[in-house]
Amino acid sequence: MAYLELQGLEVSFDGFKAVNGLDLSIERGELRCLLGANGAGKSTTLDLICGRTQPTGGRILLDGRDITQDPEYRRSRLGVGRKFQVPSVFKELSIRENLEIARSRHPEPWRTLCVFPSRRPSPRVAEVVEIVGLEDALDTQAAHLSHGQTQWLEIAMLLVQDSALILMDEPTAGMTVQETGKTSAIFQRLRGRHTLIVVEHDMGFVREVAETITVLHQGRRLSEGPIQAIENDPKVREAYLGSGGISHA
Amino acid sequence: MDILLGQLFTGLSIGSVLLLVALGLAIIYGTMGVINLAHGEFVMLGAYATWFLQSTLGLTLLPCLLVVFLMVAAAGWAVERTIVRFLYRRPLDTILATWGIGIMLQQAVRLAAGADLRYVQTPDQLAGSIDLAGVAIPSYRLFILAFSAALLGLTWFVVQRTEFGMKLRAVTQNREMASCYGIDSARIFTLTFAFGSGLAGLAGALIAPIKSVAPDMGTNFVVDAFMVVVVGGVGSLFGTVASAGLIGGGTAGFAFLLNDTLAKALVFLGVVVLVRFRPQGLFAATGRR
Amino acid sequence: MTSLPDRHDRRAEPVPRPAIAWRVSMPRITSAAQFLPYILFCGAILAVPSFVSDPFLLNKFARYLALGLAAAALALSWGYCGILNLGQGVGFGLGAYAMAMHLKLKTSPVHTGSAGLPDFMVWNNLDHLPWFWQPFHSGLFALAAAVLLPALVAALLGWFMFRARIAGVYVAIITLAMLAVTNLVFVDQQAYTGGLNGITDLAWFEMGGVEFDPYSPAFYYLSAGSLAFFLMLGMVFTRSKAGLVLRAIRGGTDRVLFFGYDMASYQCLAFSLSAGMSGVAGMLYAMVLEFASPTFMGVPLSLSMVIWAAVGGRGSLLGATVGAILVNGTQGSLSEAFLNSWQLILGALFILVVVFLPNGLAGLVHNLGARLSGRLRGMAADRAPSALLNRR
Ligand SMILES: Nc1ncnc2c1ncn2[C@@H]1O[C@H](COP(=O)(O)OP(=O)(O)O)[C@@H](O)[C@H]1O
Ligand SMILES: [Mg+2]
Repeated sequence: MAYLELQGLEVSFDGFKAVNGLDLSIERGELRCLLGANGAGKSTTLDLICGRTQPTGGRILLDGRDITQDPEYRRSRLGVGRKFQVPSVFKELSIRENLEIARSRHPEPWRTLCVFPSRRPSPRVAEVVEIVGLEDALDTQAAHLSHGQTQWLEIAMLLVQDSALILMDEPTAGMTVQETGKTSAIFQRLRGRHTLIVVEHDMGFVREVAETITVLHQGRRLSEGPIQAIENDPKVREAYLGSGGISHA
Repeated sequence: MDILLGQLFTGLSIGSVLLLVALGLAIIYGTMGVINLAHGEFVMLGAYATWFLQSTLGLTLLPCLLVVFLMVAAAGWAVERTIVRFLYRRPLDTILATWGIGIMLQQAVRLAAGADLRYVQTPDQLAGSIDLAGVAIPSYRLFILAFSAALLGLTWFVVQRTEFGMKLRAVTQNREMASCYGIDSARIFTLTFAFGSGLAGLAGALIAPIKSVAPDMGTNFVVDAFMVVVVGGVGSLFGTVASAGLIGGGTAGFAFLLNDTLAKALVFLGVVVLVRFRPQGLFAATGRR
Repeated sequence: MTSLPDRHDRRAEPVPRPAIAWRVSMPRITSAAQFLPYILFCGAILAVPSFVSDPFLLNKFARYLALGLAAAALALSWGYCGILNLGQGVGFGLGAYAMAMHLKLKTSPVHTGSAGLPDFMVWNNLDHLPWFWQPFHSGLFALAAAVLLPALVAALLGWFMFRARIAGVYVAIITLAMLAVTNLVFVDQQAYTGGLNGITDLAWFEMGGVEFDPYSPAFYYLSAGSLAFFLMLGMVFTRSKAGLVLRAIRGGTDRVLFFGYDMASYQCLAFSLSAGMSGVAGMLYAMVLEFASPTFMGVPLSLSMVIWAAVGGRGSLLGATVGAILVNGTQGSLSEAFLNSWQLILGALFILVVVFLPNGLAGLVHNLGARLSGRLRGMAADRAPSALLNRR
């Protein structure tokens, strides 16, 4: 059995089925890209996996365990981490504090009550902030960061959180070419040790990192396979017709 | 049968007073998202204005009403312009600031009119009672009921059928968009606040003959009225009416079975449970928040 | 807890990380500076009896300190965790009544003679002490109840609210309604609570051979000691990682859930800690006034606490405490004639603070301090963070 299994997953918002009978299985250590036009249901799929949205039908199995009914925090404790499409960090807190929150191996209140965050970052945090280039801004309030920096902070938080399954929603949106390159380097390092699901529009990026690609269309799986197969799939071409083919999605 | 009818009327009567007080609060909260804890003090101002007009000019209650409405609306206008407008985007802070306004109004009245209880006379025509299917019903209570219904109709007309109402609904739904179409939302808010305060003043004037008039009379009203608004749902006039009826009926019913104090406690407890399971209220019109 | 599989299996294989993931280490230098005002304040209030010997003054000060504790409790839930509890009086009142019940039982033989029943029970034709009054013969039980009962009630209410993600205005509404409910029930249950009069004519608290006459230094020390203890406890709590998580929650996002923090548990924790603190405040207040009354659970007092905390600074335990002491101290020192206009001034002050000074006096002091130290540091070269921010 695969590490993550979505079986007939379905959610409807006031009758509109944003995800409609989706089956997906992802092996441990795999890096999977989700593609699809705007509104195809990619973000909603990630929401369903991490528990932000409750499905109206179907099941989610993580490592063989049915997590469909588990609340978000319990899924996180089981190893699901999430980066949101709109970068979501704690704006009132400093970068240091944001990362401290992300370091959440023991998230129960009775444990955190006995921890007093030290000002000296742990080696892991120090390493991560250097990777994302925020090492000089540790005491800056997150609200003062630019959009790109906020993206990096959220990525750093996910690295610190160190989840087994990482869900990334458009991680390179708003990044420069160099930054996108850096992100893909990070992903190369994560692959194998973590299972990743990445929603991405940047086809260059997708070509660089993806093994298997799943294309969603109107809440269903339209096509799945390696990049060449996807690019040559007539169904995919048809679905993207009018938006000028997949590379401009 | 008589008992049942009597109870029904008691419920309606309590409900109509609640509605009277809650109407202005509902409009202000529904439009501006401002929780106006000074609302009770506007009710109190209305009652004192009535007492003042009656004791100095010898006016009877009915001619007072229009004057009182205008006076209290003017007070509301001033409060909105000087304080509330700073807090449109901070709903929690409006609770606090308007509480401060309430304290000041209370104390100002206490200084000006003294802390003694004041009494307002029921108009002679309404002093008696009417026999309805064997139950004696005080005319004045009936009058309040009718007047609440009339005010409700008026409010509905203002909101649904006038240009002001149209702008008001536009601003409620989307302030930025409304501004783009040239609607001066700040002006709409000020007028709404003044209108809501005027309604509170009317409520005070009408309640004055049946309750004693004191500087701190508003505190109780505002909590009750606020619960009515919350249960009814933001931005729903119908919801406010239904919830005033529900809470009034509930209070009367429990009071009949137990006593007034416990009845109120039970109703509040009901409100707590309701807010927990349906924070948007029973009849929320829009998905605000 | 359900039997969760060991999380290590589920997580990715370890990137090298420190051997102990959670380290108990006190915050360093900057935090020491943050502790300093607290230490100074606690030292100052504990030193008062060395300079003041007038019993009435001591009594008055002890009362202010009790109210200061109530304001600090509010700041803990409101300022640090974004939970605006308009029903702070519930905890305050429960604490007050718990202590009053004990102190009443100590006097009742004197007041009622035969059955040893409190006077108001006799008037209400009770012929024996209700079962839930029995344990209050013990002072230790009363002390424990004054802290734990409010905390427990708050934990239950918190669980009820926060599990459903109730937040912001709706928390204010629910707590306000609960305050009204509690008040009405206490007024209604005359035979057990003394009704509108409350529980009056209380004895002095006695523990370990010390008698806490509310006009004595001993009582003052009890008051000041409790305040100092809870200020320090609150300070440590807010500096812990749990406090950090709560500050993250305060921002209004549910993002912490996706890091595995159970938001509702954290909110419950803060909410009930705050209630426990206000329980102690209420207990001290009942001891100092020598009665407990339903007005302790009235809307006006609870909202006044909000005023004190706002004036002093909702974001600082010490600020809120000082706010309460300042407001009450000013009010207490005014002559009767001036007291009338005082309410006007207080209302105006409150409005001004809410509108223009959301962080209260503490925020003002903090800004002044920051500006001062900024000027001192201004001579030095620009710091890296701003350079980094300008780069992009
Ligand atoms: N909470 C919601 N309520 C109603 N509709 C929603 C909600 N979330 C998403 N949708 C709708 O579901 C569809 C899929 O959205 P989404 O998953 O965000 O698409 P994308 O593939 O671009 O990430 C969209 O049409 C969106 O409008
Ligand atoms: Mg999306």
